[in-house]
Amino acid sequence: MNLLRIAVKELKHDFRDRWNLMFMLAFPLTLMLILGFSLGSTFGVIAQVGEIRVLVRDSGDNPALSDSFAAFAAGVTESGVQFDDWQEGTEGRTEVEQDLYDSYVELSSSGIHIYSSSRNSLKSDIFQGMMLTFGDRYTAVQTISQTKDAARALQILDDAKGSSDYVREVSVVAERQPGALDYYALAMSCMVALWGAWSASNLIGGERRWGTASRLTAAPITKFDIFTGKVLGSLVTNMLCVSIVVFVSKYVFGAYWGDHMPAVLTVLFSEVVLAVSLGLTVSYLFNQASSRSVLMIITQLAAFFGGAYVAIGVDEDLGIFHWVTNLSPIRWANVALTRIVYAGQIASMWPVVFLNLGLAVIMLAAAAAMMRRKEGL
Amino acid sequence: MNVLDIRGLTKKFGEFIAVDNMSLSVREGEIFGFLGSNGAGKSTTINLVASLLRPTSGEIRILERNIAKHRRFAKTNLGIVPQELAIYQDMTALENVIFFAGLYGLRGEELKERALEALQFVGLEDKEKSYPKNFSGGMKRRLNIACAIAHRPKLIIMDEPTVGIDPQSRNYILGSVRRLNEMGCTIIYTSHYMEEVEEICTRIAIVDHGKIIADGTKEQLIAAITDMKNITIELKKADPELAVTLKQIAGIRAISVSDNLITISSDLAVDNLGTILKLLIDSGSEIKALEEQAPNLETVFLTLTGRNLRD
Repeated sequence: MNLLRIAVKELKHDFRDRWNLMFMLAFPLTLMLILGFSLGSTFGVIAQVGEIRVLVRDSGDNPALSDSFAAFAAGVTESGVQFDDWQEGTEGRTEVEQDLYDSYVELSSSGIHIYSSSRNSLKSDIFQGMMLTFGDRYTAVQTISQTKDAARALQILDDAKGSSDYVREVSVVAERQPGALDYYALAMSCMVALWGAWSASNLIGGERRWGTASRLTAAPITKFDIFTGKVLGSLVTNMLCVSIVVFVSKYVFGAYWGDHMPAVLTVLFSEVVLAVSLGLTVSYLFNQASSRSVLMIITQLAAFFGGAYVAIGVDEDLGIFHWVTNLSPIRWANVALTRIVYAGQIASMWPVVFLNLGLAVIMLAAAAAMMRRKEGL
Repeated sequence: MNVLDIRGLTKKFGEFIAVDNMSLSVREGEIFGFLGSNGAGKSTTINLVASLLRPTSGEIRILERNIAKHRRFAKTNLGIVPQELAIYQDMTALENVIFFAGLYGLRGEELKERALEALQFVGLEDKEKSYPKNFSGGMKRRLNIACAIAHRPKLIIMDEPTVGIDPQSRNYILGSVRRLNEMGCTIIYTSHYMEEVEEICTRIAIVDHGKIIADGTKEQLIAAITDMKNITIELKKADPELAVTLKQIAGIRAISVSDNLITISSDLAVDNLGTILKLLIDSGSEIKALEEQAPNLETVFLTLTGRNLRD
């Protein structure tokens, strides 16, 4: 009962503190709007590739290659590639340099030579990708045809080459692309969840500062009641704040949160548990002023590397920063939420939830042990 | 019956001994004055009694039960008014009292009635819905007391409850202490104001270097130094070095210099006032006032500790 009494008192403190509400609700929602609308043009843009124009010069001294290429050309024409035959007096490379063609192909007994323009790298890259596939298949056919059971091998290849699958598109929820507002709704919610560490760092320090620690300790209640009541109150406050941010972004701003809200909230609430534990532990390890500074550094680095300010795609190749971003709890949660919201992969929540709760248990146990050893609160 | 019994209590912080093998008893119905200068060990003793600190050794009994074994019983029968304000500024006066009284097991209507009664007792009945952040210093101090008494403890510890408040609020609080005592509460009262202790305490203990160096009624303590006199001299500007020079005059037992006020405890039989005045004039000090009094509690404290209570 005393545990609940203390938890309710914490709720009163938090929701009567206008600055706390500004920090936990108004600030992230405003930031979400600003970033969502100002960076809207950089998200979900579909590049129009248009027709890819290719000039082909076939010397004709390799009939097998010529036949194969003709079949290939017939197939990829459907994908928007326009092949023109080389004309006498035309300089292929010059045509590409002058941007009259995107690529120039030479077929001869020595093989295939491709010349591409860097002016339109997207078109060039797409065509080179197609040619690479074609080249692999052609080489395979040539090699197998010289083996003992060539007839059977060629039959297998014939079955496969019937299709013109030189480019295969695989899209996850193809009709739904995260816009800037959608992205920042997820990222800001993860960030607000981690900000719970701030209020948690004040749970015990606040009582010392207000002088009420002595009255609480002198009352006939256990330290366990005080500790648990405070943690419970802080968890409820922060979970409410995160829920408000999620639902305002969903119903007021129109951000997309998918069809699995229970899984989304489970991930965010586990992040809150982690944050509260972190705040409490840091407040026991450092004095009031230092713990604030430490948490400021931790949360801001986690927000930056977690993609709360600068958008980072889920599968983006980040090179050497990959492992740094993976240290951010915001990143863990953000990646899991993106998969839940946009790919419906509900199972993505479990590793994050277990990691968050596991770390929280370790930190809470450490904070409880430090509190137990300490005289007073 | 003894409400509080302390036996051989010691508290060490590293090498520093804050409370040194202390023993004392507080009887039911007493207003027990606990006097000591800063760092004497009285706050540590109070914190040990209130279970805010763990003793290094010794035993504390509240209502004849060892608090180490009957912690909940001891805490339930104890009310504490800390020197620092211990109230929540963002909760109303009534919410504050209800919250703290609720921790002592009171519930429902009884809890609200007791909380309102406590607010009425300290004269804040019309401020139940007001926030302490809008209160005067005196009102905050009174709310601090209300939070400690709503659960009707047998023993109340008041640590400097009148610090930094106006005379009117101070009188109100002193009146409240007396009324609580009349209602059956035993009170341990600490203060830097000697006149408050003289006025309300039925028994007084003087603490120095973590030990009780004197214990008794005001009359008993003064009777122990009837051969002493108290000389108070106010200078325009007092040099602390004067204490060293004056200490060499025959008959002087103890000297305290603070706020341009020199307080001297001297043997009654030795006529040394002329020598003291001559030394002060020769040193260039400008004397604003001089008073020679019969021994009082101030003299007792100065004689026993060599320091003024406010040092």
